[in-house]
Amino acid sequence: MIEVKEITKNYGRKKILKGVSFTANKGEITCLIGINGVGKTTILNAIMALTPINKGQILINGETINKNMFEKITFIPDAITMLPQMKISDAMEFMNDFYTCWNQKRATELLGFFKLNEQDRISSLSKGNTAKVNLLLGLAMDVDFVLMDEPFSGIDMFSREEIAKVFTSHLIENRGVIITTHEIGDIEHLIDKVVLLDEGIVIKEFSAEEARENEGKSVVDVMREVYQK
Amino acid sequence: MYYPYNTLNVYEPLNTYTKKSCVYIQERIGVVSMNVNFNNRDPVYLQVVRYFKEKIAIGDLVPGEEIPSRRELANRIKINPNTAQRAYKEMEEQGLIHTERNHPSKITTDEKILSKVREALLLEAVETFVTSVRSINVPVDELLNLVRTKYTDDKEA
Amino acid sequence: MKSYLKLVNFEFNRFAKIFAVLLSITLVVQIAGVIVLSKMYLNTANEKIYEELMPKAEFLSSFGQMSFLSVTRSVWFLGPIALCVAGVGFYIFLIWYRDWFGKNTFIYRLLMLPTTRLNVFYAKITNILLATFGFVAFQLILIPIETTIFRWILPKEFRVDMNVKEIVSSMPEINILFPTSFLGFILYYGAGLMVVSILFTAILFERSFRWKGIFVGVLYSIVAVAVFISPLLLQEFVLDGFFYPLELFALEIVMGLIVLAGSIWMSGFLLKNKITV
Repeated sequence: MIEVKEITKNYGRKKILKGVSFTANKGEITCLIGINGVGKTTILNAIMALTPINKGQILINGETINKNMFEKITFIPDAITMLPQMKISDAMEFMNDFYTCWNQKRATELLGFFKLNEQDRISSLSKGNTAKVNLLLGLAMDVDFVLMDEPFSGIDMFSREEIAKVFTSHLIENRGVIITTHEIGDIEHLIDKVVLLDEGIVIKEFSAEEARENEGKSVVDVMREVYQK
Repeated sequence: MYYPYNTLNVYEPLNTYTKKSCVYIQERIGVVSMNVNFNNRDPVYLQVVRYFKEKIAIGDLVPGEEIPSRRELANRIKINPNTAQRAYKEMEEQGLIHTERNHPSKITTDEKILSKVREALLLEAVETFVTSVRSINVPVDELLNLVRTKYTDDKEA
Repeated sequence: MKSYLKLVNFEFNRFAKIFAVLLSITLVVQIAGVIVLSKMYLNTANEKIYEELMPKAEFLSSFGQMSFLSVTRSVWFLGPIALCVAGVGFYIFLIWYRDWFGKNTFIYRLLMLPTTRLNVFYAKITNILLATFGFVAFQLILIPIETTIFRWILPKEFRVDMNVKEIVSSMPEINILFPTSFLGFILYYGAGLMVVSILFTAILFERSFRWKGIFVGVLYSIVAVAVFISPLLLQEFVLDGFFYPLELFALEIVMGLIVLAGSIWMSGFLLKNKITV
């Protein structure tokens, strides 16, 4: 379980996060929703200790992040984390070199699934394919938690479909997934938990199926209600 | 709104699924060119349960037939594996399917439950029909005649 | 340790192209320099002796023999060295900043490796050191080649022969790069390492706190230098020559080590707690 407890973050005088708390469970897809600039990416960065927070605490399976944790949790930012001059195979080799949780078999499987050519250089890939490589590098790790920052933004429809398929496959089975998005459209029926953010705080945290079952409301219905208050 | 991911189409499976097993699943749950359009206001797991009930009612799924694993189902009809798990749990609770340890789940052979499923679906459909047709205020005989003609015409077409 | 070595190798591969380019420039320009300068001398000699009919002895007494030092003091020789020095200097900054800039943010990957983040620091500082060694070693190999070419072009009576050691020790400007004793080597490169570690720490301050970080980084550098030279300052202004030179020397080494350790500790702290992507 990832527990985000009352975290605050200031950029200069601007307060980006003003005490954000939520939890994300293993085996569930948790979706952080909020308009651009609300601090979704900052939250993911903070979980991975890629940016310091001013106050609060983040626990992953009860522990604060440390170097060994990077074998248990992975982050897929919205830009690829490999060098442009690398071939896809180089990037995979790099991962294989450094991570014991890297699953080469799964990586090869994903390569086929996304129809990528491992001899292609990262700099030569289309936006959609770059996103797929990025995703591949994260998903081929046998980790407990996968964080994805806007996996659908700025990508053509066909790539979006391919990426969405990942959410319905065994690739995320038994893992905790946190994804951020500013529009839920494509994945509404795929997510387990929704965390709505606005002006630096969590304004609602709820289970998508429960909202449908108990209130007959779609996730979008709940969002409309909460944001238009 | 049309969500492309909610629609069940035949697509290239993950490499773990061979072409053969893919066809096998399609045959078993009869999903060839079948669209499952999920709506966003009903719980997805219940929509999956309903989908299975319909398949049972029309005989696409027969008593004692093996159904795909949770993982396969999630992949085939593009839902979250958790949701598939939950749908199966619900179906087990309702007695629609039963699972023996380390074996694929099977459709129940309990005739009572099966006929109830058909009955319930039929009743539900008729209720919806009646509710909408009642506002037009037609005599029952005229309505039934109309239904008969329409129903047989459509079937022949 | 394994991760560290892998990172060193990885960083080196990233630098290999620039490194190769700089080495080629050095090779081409220095050898061209040897040829051009020797030919120029030879042309003058030919002009004087064969056209103006100046006796050879008179030519030699008024123009002197050509020594290899006239090559090493020329821009042909020093230019590429300056270029490589500037390259390393520039690379000290580039080695960090290139990971943040551009579409591909490699720093994410580096900071998410399942190894202590200080290994990234160590790998980068090792690469600076390796690059420097590489240039120096290449230069030391190049000099005998150049003197050989020099000897081919110039007849014996017109040249002064020098060996590598003589050549190197006759250039005070770059003596620091080519220490002639083991102790000198340790001291010069140790000091270099310390300077790079201070710069790295300053860079990490900037990367952690951005604008404010520049200020803190500069401040840190000043303090580090002040700590390092504090024994010298004390000796000069307060203690009035209290220490023996050898004691002062030992103190300097200790101070250097303290500054180096302090910089590594500070960098480790910043990488772990304050760095931001």
